[in-house]
Amino acid sequence: MIALLTGMLATAVLAGGVLALAALGEVLAERAGVTNLGVEGLMALGAVTAVMTVSSIHSPWAGLLAAILVGAAGGMVFAFGAVVMRANQVLCGLATTFMGLGLSTAMGHDYAGQPVGTTFGHVSVPLLSSLPVIGPAVFGQNILIIPIYVLMPLAVHFIMFRTRHGLNIRAVGENPAAADAAGIAVMPVRLWYVTLGGAMAGMAGGYLTLAYVPVWSEGMVAGRGWIALALVIFAGYRPVIVTLSALLFGLVTALSFVGQAHNWPIDPAFLNMLPYLGTMAFIIVPVVVWHRMRRVMAAPAALGQPYYREIR
Amino acid sequence: MATRAFQRLPTAPAGRILALRLVAIVLSLFIIAGVLALSGHSPLMLSELILRSTIGSRFGLEDLALFMCPLLLTGAAVYVCGMIGLWNIGAEGQFYAGAIAATGVALGLHGPAAVVLPLMTVGGILGGMAWIAVPTLARAHAGVNEIITTLLLNFIAALLTYYLTTGPWRDRISGAQVSTQRIPVSIPEMWGIVHWGFPVAILMVIGLALVLSRTRWGYEIRMSGANPEAAHYAGMPVRLRIISVMLLSGGLAGLAGMFEVAGTVHRLQGGMANNFGYLGIVVAVLARGSCLNVIPAALFMALILDSGIVMQTQQLSASVVLAITGLILFMIAIGDELAHYRPAARSVPGGKAS
Repeated sequence: MIALLTGMLATAVLAGGVLALAALGEVLAERAGVTNLGVEGLMALGAVTAVMTVSSIHSPWAGLLAAILVGAAGGMVFAFGAVVMRANQVLCGLATTFMGLGLSTAMGHDYAGQPVGTTFGHVSVPLLSSLPVIGPAVFGQNILIIPIYVLMPLAVHFIMFRTRHGLNIRAVGENPAAADAAGIAVMPVRLWYVTLGGAMAGMAGGYLTLAYVPVWSEGMVAGRGWIALALVIFAGYRPVIVTLSALLFGLVTALSFVGQAHNWPIDPAFLNMLPYLGTMAFIIVPVVVWHRMRRVMAAPAALGQPYYREIR
Repeated sequence: MATRAFQRLPTAPAGRILALRLVAIVLSLFIIAGVLALSGHSPLMLSELILRSTIGSRFGLEDLALFMCPLLLTGAAVYVCGMIGLWNIGAEGQFYAGAIAATGVALGLHGPAAVVLPLMTVGGILGGMAWIAVPTLARAHAGVNEIITTLLLNFIAALLTYYLTTGPWRDRISGAQVSTQRIPVSIPEMWGIVHWGFPVAILMVIGLALVLSRTRWGYEIRMSGANPEAAHYAGMPVRLRIISVMLLSGGLAGLAGMFEVAGTVHRLQGGMANNFGYLGIVVAVLARGSCLNVIPAALFMALILDSGIVMQTQQLSASVVLAITGLILFMIAIGDELAHYRPAARSVPGGKAS
């Protein structure tokens, strides 16, 4: 029983990391008022870039860095359309996803199905990793777990809610006209935070192939980008909660693995549906059950709206 | 302070949109040609080959019509949702649901085509509607973002198709992978391999255009999309209109799945939706302004898909089509925004200082 729990938690932590990274990046973009629907495509680009990089430079760090850079570049392309040119955000996001999915498959054609040689190996934190259940799951995994679940969300939370700069970001997302009047440069804030969000989506893709599923195949991102987008809504655009819900979501994924490993009398196809069904339940049930939560968890007021200074 | 050289108009003139879209498409084609040239292909040779084997041959034209058929319907599905300000990103899943329901009818019923085909049609439409039902209710009653719910159901529909075609409905006769056996009935063909679903799809788009522009229902949809609050105060049942539009949208996409099963593929197959649902979004965006524009927009997308097949014969991956579609969509989104701008009037001295 303990072994089962440990295994499930370990899988949950590992699987949730992909979602936590992508969702945290999206929180940054959406707090600044931009919905980036390109996350799925940027993750695919990051995943394939990581695989291609480590096949020539045998270092997972190099792979991760390349994935981050590609994600940032893709995020910038999206931001060019959606923020600089102020084109429709939904369209630019979908276009980014199409380009990302298409390009990643074309680029990774020669790498498909080959195991990735260099990945982030297990690191055991002394003492902590011998804790029951939690130890192996949290402190006995790859070195990225602590940054993903602790350092990055806390850093984003601190910047967002405890600094002047964070107030500026939120102002840009809530009321760009007022922010502009107060002397905050709306477009640069949006541009940089969308780019940063893209970098984190790319990192999520890199983490996917370098730490979670060490093989590139077409369609391996499998909607994780969209699930991350849904988690952002579920978590009410809050960095710490979004990370925790990614972990909760990792548990749903782990459940389907456990089911397959223990030969539950359910077809694997249905177990594989669990993450998607879970996400649907995640974003529908709370608003139906707790009506009052809607105001607390509401989206930034200017989310999805381009800002035109001349017609404010 | 510099004066503004350009002024943004609330609505863009149609002519300017068209012109900027042409620029966007030509620019995309240049980028694509550049990338192809860099990767060692000859863009000129390739484009000649593409033209010759798409619109230059009878087989190419037949394929074009077959690609257009589902695109017309998924495009109309996304378009009609857009009229009320909603994004149905789940046409892919509704397509599968329609295909599954239609296949279920065909495999379960044994009778003359005249009986089975109409029942398959009803099944396909109901399948698509069932697939969008949860996002519809969540949107209409709880305001849940329809983009994400409709999209997540795509993955579930694909998994369900995979389950059925490898499990209970798998092909026990030829042992084909991820496919059911050939269904016994099919939509009659009218021209080569082009089946009657093609003209029906065109008629449906025309019919939808008439309904949207000439009926009270269509007017209320447009009003609710343009300004939901005003529509509500004018006494229009906005919530009911949202439900009816989304169900109609799902039904159209489901019908596309039925046509594909009964007219083109003749079996339920994994991957048979072929991104038609996602490309429907592009069709609907291209059609912006008029429902009838869905027809040329579907033709344009079908041309791209058809070219994709030629590119595959030239050792280019099929996914290149998706990347190209994304690029064109991106450029068009920018072009549509730029179409709102015009040079600021000279008569105002200095223009409006910012």
